[in-house]
Amino acid sequence: MISRAARRTAMFVLALVIVAAWWEFYKWVGPEDGGSILGMNILPKTTDRAMPHTWDMVGRLFENESTAADSRPLWVAVLGYAWYTFRLAIGGLLLGTAIGIGLAILMARFRVVERGLLPWVIMSQTVPLIALAPQVVSWSGRFDLFGWEWPRWASVCLLAAFLSFFPIAVGALRGLNSPPAAALELMDSYAASWWQTLWRLRLPASVSYLIPALKLGATASVIGVIVSEISTGIPGGIGRAVISYSQAATSDPEKLYGAVFGAAALGLVLYGLVVLMEVVVMRDRPQEEFS
Amino acid sequence: MTTSAVAVSKVSKVFNPGTPGQVDALVDIDLTIAPGEFVSLIGPSGCGKSTLLRLIADLIEPSGGTITINGKAARQARLDQEYGMAFQQAGLFEWRSVEKNIELPLELKGWDKTQRRERAHEMLELVKLPEFAGHMPWQLSGGMQQRIAIARALASSPSLLLMDEPFGALDEMTREHMQAELLRICAETHTTVVFVTHSIPEAVFLSDRVVVMSPRPGRITQTIDVELGGDRDEDTREAGGFYEKITEVREALRGIEQPVVGGVDDR
Amino acid sequence: MTSRHAVATVAWPLLFGAIFLALWEAVVQIFDLKPYFLPSPSSILEAFVDNFGIIWDATVYSGTNALIGLIAGTVLGVAVSFLLVRFRFMTELVTPLAVALNAIPIVVLVTVFLNMYGATSDVPRRLMVTLIVFFIVLVNVAKGLRQVSPTHLELLRSYAASPTAVLLKARIPNAVPYLFTALKIAAPASVITAFVSEYFGGRDIGLGRRIPSNFANSRNAVAWGYVLGACLLGLTFYLISMAMESTTRHRRGAAPGGGA
Repeated sequence: MISRAARRTAMFVLALVIVAAWWEFYKWVGPEDGGSILGMNILPKTTDRAMPHTWDMVGRLFENESTAADSRPLWVAVLGYAWYTFRLAIGGLLLGTAIGIGLAILMARFRVVERGLLPWVIMSQTVPLIALAPQVVSWSGRFDLFGWEWPRWASVCLLAAFLSFFPIAVGALRGLNSPPAAALELMDSYAASWWQTLWRLRLPASVSYLIPALKLGATASVIGVIVSEISTGIPGGIGRAVISYSQAATSDPEKLYGAVFGAAALGLVLYGLVVLMEVVVMRDRPQEEFS
Repeated sequence: MTTSAVAVSKVSKVFNPGTPGQVDALVDIDLTIAPGEFVSLIGPSGCGKSTLLRLIADLIEPSGGTITINGKAARQARLDQEYGMAFQQAGLFEWRSVEKNIELPLELKGWDKTQRRERAHEMLELVKLPEFAGHMPWQLSGGMQQRIAIARALASSPSLLLMDEPFGALDEMTREHMQAELLRICAETHTTVVFVTHSIPEAVFLSDRVVVMSPRPGRITQTIDVELGGDRDEDTREAGGFYEKITEVREALRGIEQPVVGGVDDR
Repeated sequence: MTSRHAVATVAWPLLFGAIFLALWEAVVQIFDLKPYFLPSPSSILEAFVDNFGIIWDATVYSGTNALIGLIAGTVLGVAVSFLLVRFRFMTELVTPLAVALNAIPIVVLVTVFLNMYGATSDVPRRLMVTLIVFFIVLVNVAKGLRQVSPTHLELLRSYAASPTAVLLKARIPNAVPYLFTALKIAAPASVITAFVSEYFGGRDIGLGRRIPSNFANSRNAVAWGYVLGACLLGLTFYLISMAMESTTRHRRGAAPGGGA
């Protein structure tokens, strides 16, 4: 087990090295102004502005964010933005999980709800409803709930939840319906109520379906927060940092990569939390080869 | 002296040699099967009966000893398609129609299309399912699928049929019907059969000889001649001699120390 | 499928949808909500019809990017999945990378691509779609090529089939439904990605650009009209991929469990 994990990590590092080497190789041999293959403009430019050296990207992390006197090193600044986005993403994931599991229980309980709602739930994911971000954010400050004024970050959480609830709802529903007929009949033979069956059979059975759903949901939540930050102009998070750094990329291209690394780290950490949860929750269950 | 259909001599098989997971699956196996003979391999889980079948088929290689089929080394026999094979899962290709499934081995041998089609229809007649040529596998019952798998195994007219618990997944009624069908088909085609099973009545009903195996390490403990004669039908199952043989095989199996827990699956 | 069953399949969702729209309309009318807060379904439909020309143009632009990326990503994904199955080392190399890329918001790479190709190029948006589609197709098709039933493999070995024959007779047919499962996921994802990648800079055209700018100018009903256009585009892609999948499923009975 240990050696396999070590091998995986080594292969991952090797893959990153190959990508970096490829980047440097293309930068070395590729045309300065880009070029086209078969009439398509698909060869990127290789100037230092368009494709900085990989070592410069890393080096830039340890220089100051800006020339202002009180500026922090870039990696500290990026970490701060990522932390802000991370909290919103956690909020979105929790909200999305609650909505997703709630809907799944409702659909498992009432066939009519499943028939009427599931097609819409599925369809909601085939369309870019993240486009509604500006509308949802515009609600902030416009109405209050029992004296609690709707803050902007809550809009962002709501949008992230909207993106993350779907895989969770679908996974949970599949899990709740996963117990075999024999197990359900056994519960019936005990004259167990629907809720007892839910609590003792359906929910425990759904855990192994929920975990992969949560992995998808975690990534979706991060994307939801970043896209909402960008489309609504909310400052403080990594999404905004990516945009403002990319606008400054003409003079300081390496800085942009710092923000991209930050976004990547953020996604990996949230995913890692779900994996950690998986290890804890699944410790007494039969091991499955995970891919 | 005629060449034996299968000759297994001093064969052993070790899985994961030299590691903590080393398993002596088979030791010192000797088995000779005459042409036209029907031999069953029976024994508890982990006795290596499926391993032995796969060694004969050259799906895996022995750690020691030699195996010949019709006088040829196992590998050459596989390359020459000396045998057909059927498994517990019918293993039909779900994207091919029934007749295209039967044609598969012929396709790989390079037969032309009309010959293949003709042969597939002969085979369908043999297993009594001619009207299902154009059906897809999922439209057939488990027993029908298994009959198609047997048709496929016999399509290239091999002299030897290797079967790994082919009726293991079927219900008892279908199973008995399939056993009778298999005997009829083998009689019509004069095929030698090596048949892996864990059902005592199945082994006795089908076989000329029942080979009893024991686990850890896998070896042959006893060989029982069934001697129920060539013409077996449903009445055979109720004959006194049938029960005597079942008892004999059961006694032989009882002599084997049973594993406490399930044991390692022998596949 | 019996006709009674078909009616139930369609009727319940339609009923739920109608109730939802009616409630929405009623809430807007009764509470007299301002359009900048939430426009009513009827005013959205009106805005959609009135602005159909410009909405259509934006939809065609975003849809073209999605389609080009979808095709390029599918072709690349299928090609590389063959390499993965052929060379075990490649699988070990690519799998952790694919898992990691799945976990991170790679859509931010649009900014990097814009930097590499220039802000006026459409390549960054298409490349982004390609990348997203590529990994969906790669993971699913590689699974389909690899997860061939052990019985099929033993059978083919007993036939002394060559590796090429195994590929042609077992692996490729086995992978076909996995490809369609991948397309069912990738088709809507390509639209959403094409759309979202417009947020990250570049030319000021496309659905993803028009929606925030109309919201910003308090033309909310028009913005919602664009959202409706985006939804219809996503649905079109999804329905086409579903139709393609059902043609293969029809012949085989059950579809395999591809990853969603």
